[in-house]
Amino acid sequence: MDYKKLGFKAGLEIHQQIDSSKLFCSCPSALREDEPDFTIKRELRAVPGEHGEIDVAAFYEQLKGKHFIYEGYDKNSCLVELDEEPPHAINQEALRIALTVAKMMHCDISDEMQVMRKTVVDGSNTSGFQRTVLIGRNGWIKVNGKKIGINYLILEEDAARRTAEDAKSVTYRLDRLGIPMLEIVTAPDMKTAEEVKETAKVIGMLLRSTGKMRRGIGTIRQDVNVSIKGHSRVEMKGVQDLRVMIRYIEKEVERQVKTKGKEEPHVRNVKPDFSSKFLRPLPGAARMYPETDIPLVRPDLKGIKLPELIDEKVKRFEKWGLGKDLALLIAGSEKAGLFEELVKKHKKIKAGFIAETLTGTLLELKREYKIEEVSEDDLRKVFDYLSEGKIHKDIILSVLVDMGKGQFDVKKYEGLSTEDLHKEILKVIEENKGAPFGAMMGKAMARLKGKASGEQVAQMLKELLKGHAGK
Amino acid sequence: MNIRAGDRVKLKTEKEEIEGVLMPSSEADVVVVKLDNGYNIGINKNKIKNMKMVEKHKEKEIKKKTIKEKTGLPTITILHMGGTIASKVDYATGAVKPKFTPSELLELFPELGEIANIKSRLVGNLLSGNMRFSHYNLMAKEIEKAVKEGVDGIIVTHGTDTLHYTSAALAFALEDLGVPVILVGSQRSSDRGSSDASMNLICAAQFVVKSNFAGVAMCMHKSMDDKFCGILPATKTRKFHSSRRDTFKVINAKPWAEVSKKGEIKWLDKSYDKKDKKKKLSLKLFKDLKIGILKAHPNMFVEEIKAYSSFDGIILEGTGLGHFPVLEYDKLTAEHTKILKEIEKLAKKMPMVMTSQTIYGRVDMNVYAYGRELLKAGVLGNYADMTAETAFVKLAWLLSNKMDVKENISKSLRREINERIESKEDFLE
Repeated sequence: MDYKKLGFKAGLEIHQQIDSSKLFCSCPSALREDEPDFTIKRELRAVPGEHGEIDVAAFYEQLKGKHFIYEGYDKNSCLVELDEEPPHAINQEALRIALTVAKMMHCDISDEMQVMRKTVVDGSNTSGFQRTVLIGRNGWIKVNGKKIGINYLILEEDAARRTAEDAKSVTYRLDRLGIPMLEIVTAPDMKTAEEVKETAKVIGMLLRSTGKMRRGIGTIRQDVNVSIKGHSRVEMKGVQDLRVMIRYIEKEVERQVKTKGKEEPHVRNVKPDFSSKFLRPLPGAARMYPETDIPLVRPDLKGIKLPELIDEKVKRFEKWGLGKDLALLIAGSEKAGLFEELVKKHKKIKAGFIAETLTGTLLELKREYKIEEVSEDDLRKVFDYLSEGKIHKDIILSVLVDMGKGQFDVKKYEGLSTEDLHKEILKVIEENKGAPFGAMMGKAMARLKGKASGEQVAQMLKELLKGHAGK
Repeated sequence: MNIRAGDRVKLKTEKEEIEGVLMPSSEADVVVVKLDNGYNIGINKNKIKNMKMVEKHKEKEIKKKTIKEKTGLPTITILHMGGTIASKVDYATGAVKPKFTPSELLELFPELGEIANIKSRLVGNLLSGNMRFSHYNLMAKEIEKAVKEGVDGIIVTHGTDTLHYTSAALAFALEDLGVPVILVGSQRSSDRGSSDASMNLICAAQFVVKSNFAGVAMCMHKSMDDKFCGILPATKTRKFHSSRRDTFKVINAKPWAEVSKKGEIKWLDKSYDKKDKKKKLSLKLFKDLKIGILKAHPNMFVEEIKAYSSFDGIILEGTGLGHFPVLEYDKLTAEHTKILKEIEKLAKKMPMVMTSQTIYGRVDMNVYAYGRELLKAGVLGNYADMTAETAFVKLAWLLSNKMDVKENISKSLRREINERIESKEDFLE
């Protein structure tokens, strides 16, 4: 299909949760799956506008006539989420992060920002509206050398999440309600499906470069707006997976060609088989009015420092001898800072080994030994011991396992003297007369594990065998 | 060039050109503009190079709807005194506009149309903390008008902050009331879909129509759920939480009933006055008297008592069973004798009525020495269990109507005093 001929236009809308406490209260931003502490029953009404405009999307929702059940946890939701207390002042940390991203995307930032109420009547906000504030406008990013416009950068609260539904009610869990989110709306500057994917990649990298975004499933949501000439805009919801994004877009273009433009602008849910289903009509112009419980926000831009982009970090790490994949892995991880610190301190240890330890080895610790965390201080100690020659890099996995279990004792790992090593290896030779070298190495390493490096043992074994053979 | 809020404007700063609708701004040095995407932004005035009008604001016509009265339905008059129970948002300007006419109320609460024929009058729209005794008289007169029109009940919309003062005031002022007068407020603004206004109003209407209750009461959420509203006694209720929907709780008594939007009524106390439209209502209004409320606390000074010397009456919020620091204990408490002398002096000039700052429980100044001193000094209110707010209203009312305070203050005239307080496992429940 010739996308240019078709007049293909696409834009991205990305929602990314910020790693801070909630936007308008001090509750922690965390999702939970255990049994909720309380439930509350509520009804919501659609509030018509002054001029009788009943928003199409809102009306559609109200028709279903269901009531809402909100379930929550005492530690994660306070009276603000329950719509039983006015919102607190905007979370300064979340605001700072939003301003940082706005600057990274070259946006215009207003002198004063007003938090708005955006009417929402599907029950996902207990108050019947979402609090949202415009942070940046008219920005741009470069994607493979081309400028892609960033129309808006918005800071807003995430909604409650649907956990159940039946004929009479919809149940929402309040843990997610209030988590701060960045909404990035690009201009419809993308002219191919590939360009959409690349843009999503770059935006993702920029956001992760702040080190302040929440990670995990559901922390980022992506919608792609697609239209061809003569067809109204269709918003495809939930296109997070970059690996299959192009296929979804292609399928939608095919679909739009078939329907020949006889549709209203609407939202579609994507399905695993690459088809999509009509979800609801696109709401009309955003129904927003000022959140008068919160005074105008005057952003302080003085303290804002732009972080180094992950892409830049990767280039630096490659210069230190890391392969591209390992560089990308460590640069995008939470251990990037520690990595740099250790490389600078331990000039004699290979940067690649440090990176591998902080990524692959820690992952192995999780998978094989069920050790979730080793503290940064413990990691620093390990490399100190390594530099001092107190432990050997071959046995670093065992050291980390012990540290993870809280059982580390450096004495256990101090290298044996040559004499002691001698004695042990001789014992192995005696006990395994006639065994092949490989088998003896195995037995020797099992016995001497952690006390000498494989090279040492192999060398000594060879020498002693020679000497022994001579006997 | 006369540019006003609501006009579409284009303004130029050094960096850019911004177009949108001019909004009213709460800050003098900031211009607020609504962009086409709906968001408002603020620009420092000193950064604006020029601003020109793109299009003048046109007041869009609001189609007026006429409602047909249903035959066979009872009639309720809604008197608006504040506590905006109904509003619409003008998305073009972001303004929230309160709505008072019957047709607007029926548009926003179509359920009302199934319950009763609605008359509606705007009496005032004040923040309830601003109310004065004259406003109680205003409300009482409007209620009298409605009663004379033969309506089946009256709903008064009111701010929640002092709703309990007004409910007590109306209970006293409306003597021989033969129909229900239900006060309704909302803790969440009515421009939002989650507002408690709609349920409070509809439950009040259901209660008026489906029960034979007469008298003043308030109708507010029973819990944080949208399940039931409580019909709460006018003189035994108080606002207990600054923001929760279920902020109103009853003290030393029970709610009359619980009501749902569908009109189910669960009675908790059936000793109410029965509806009788033939009863002749008489108004006993308030004079603009000076009544103060003084709260006892550690480290008090005689000046605090003296401050009320020119008043017509004082309500004392004593500690515990009804105490003020009027006895000396050691060298440090010399001030207390001064306080006692001042109270003795004032008690000769004006009624001083004791209540307890514990809110729950009864006043009994016989038990401790300083209580007995207060009784000797002439402080009234012994054995009563009125809240300070209800006592305040009652004292003002007794004085306004030239009734003997000593004789009437500890007598229950509008169920404001309990002869008996029953035990409950959790008295706060």
